[in-house]
Amino acid sequence: MLDTVVTVLTTGLTNGALYALATIGLSLVWGSMGMFNMAHGAMLALGGYLTFTVCTQLGLPLPVAVIAAVAGGALFGVLLYLVVVQRLLARSTEHFETSVMIATAGISIALEEALLVAFGGQPLKQPFTVSGNLHLGQSVVPLLDLADVVIALIVMGLTYWFLSGTKMGRAIRATAQNRDAAVLMGVPVQRIFLQALAISGALAGICGVLMSSVTQLTPWFGDDPMLKAFIMCVVAGLGNLPGAIAASFCLAIIEAAVEFLAGARWGFPALLFIVIAILIWRPAGLFGRSQIRRL
Amino acid sequence: MHDIASLSLSDVWAGYDGPDILKGISLEVQPGRIVTVVGPNGHGKSTLLKAISGLIRVRRGDITLSGRSVLPLSPHRIAATGVVHVPQGDLLFPNMSVYENLLMGAYGERDAKQTAQRLDEVYALLPRLAERHRQIASSLSGGERRMAGIGRGLMAGGRILMLDEPSLGLAPLVIEQIYDVIGKLRAQGRTILLVEENPARVADLCDDMHLLDDGHIVWSGPPHELMGRDELLAAYLGG
Repeated sequence: MLDTVVTVLTTGLTNGALYALATIGLSLVWGSMGMFNMAHGAMLALGGYLTFTVCTQLGLPLPVAVIAAVAGGALFGVLLYLVVVQRLLARSTEHFETSVMIATAGISIALEEALLVAFGGQPLKQPFTVSGNLHLGQSVVPLLDLADVVIALIVMGLTYWFLSGTKMGRAIRATAQNRDAAVLMGVPVQRIFLQALAISGALAGICGVLMSSVTQLTPWFGDDPMLKAFIMCVVAGLGNLPGAIAASFCLAIIEAAVEFLAGARWGFPALLFIVIAILIWRPAGLFGRSQIRRL
Repeated sequence: MHDIASLSLSDVWAGYDGPDILKGISLEVQPGRIVTVVGPNGHGKSTLLKAISGLIRVRRGDITLSGRSVLPLSPHRIAATGVVHVPQGDLLFPNMSVYENLLMGAYGERDAKQTAQRLDEVYALLPRLAERHRQIASSLSGGERRMAGIGRGLMAGGRILMLDEPSLGLAPLVIEQIYDVIGKLRAQGRTILLVEENPARVADLCDDMHLLDDGHIVWSGPPHELMGRDELLAAYLGG
């Protein structure tokens, strides 16, 4: 029994930390600019492949490769804003939420196809790895899982510090909570949108490295976590960052328990069932409030 | 002494997506004076402040701050020139603390010492905010929220402060407190453009008054003169 609990908790906490990291990136952009970034999954894959390329193909040290993933993700976020989002915002704020969702879905497909052409469809092994196991009674906990959790928690902590302890972070939160008021305080909201997408891209970069370290690297590996991150955002209340983190851990543990007890194929349907039930019960999500976007 | 400026509107026409709400507004706010625009609800008082702060586009006319037009500027740049707009209904950042809301007021200030000094001044003027500084804004009472909105505006250290119906929806005692604060700001020599529905509330406080009706200024003069014009009060403000 104890071994079952340890196994479920280990899997749930590892997945929860990684989902939370993916969810923060999605939630940050949704909260600050009302944009659901359908390309977030492809950005996870981009981060994974950047680390693979820099480390395995260019032969540079792993820390450099991870920094490349973070920087590459941030750069992609900046380009996404300058080339697409800025223009859509300028054309129509009324239809922005729909148009940007369709546009980023297209970008996601294009980016995944580009990765497919560049690297092929065969699963690759992420060079970021930690060997060895931790033995807890009969249970075996891979050190890689622990490393992923620790790194994810550190990144979440840094994100929290940035959003609450820096002027730029406060401006992002202020823009998310009341855009008109932020403008009246002299906040350049267009620049804030750019910064939010850059940070989201950087988070996607590191998250892609960690996620592909426990799975495998394919052009589409980010789609499944993005879908789950979206579910967690919805359950928490779109744009609610602390709620999204809490929802990520809770749902990941539930998913792990269902997969352990009923079989792996029931994990995702269980998540969908939960999100449907919560949306019926609380349409704005567990921690969400109607018309208020929170970071 | 605070950095002050004059504000001038010349034949300003503005509105939202539909027809013009403001129809040829001209008025002056001289440095160190309190100017109040009164008028019935829905006749363009808030729209006037939004036009000045750039939240809606001016279709005709000009708005100048100390002689320089602000019309080519985006709203955040207008705020950076020192036009501080405290909007109706607070527009606080609901999930930030009072302290964070106040810090956001000083967003354009790069000198941390200056920000700290303004914070002390705001807390001295509005001691309730000092008591509540860690409290989340959404949990404040109506009067506290209004004070936080004014305090956040003061943190900007702007050259002209525009207050949109600061007493709206508040209990009489709280209204008294709010206008007591505005009286202290007057004593400090602040330049203030105030929008209010009830002229009696501000007659003792302001230097000049304008009566706005259906997007036109229909009367301008000293506030006590308007209070003696019963026919105007009855015609435009329901007595």
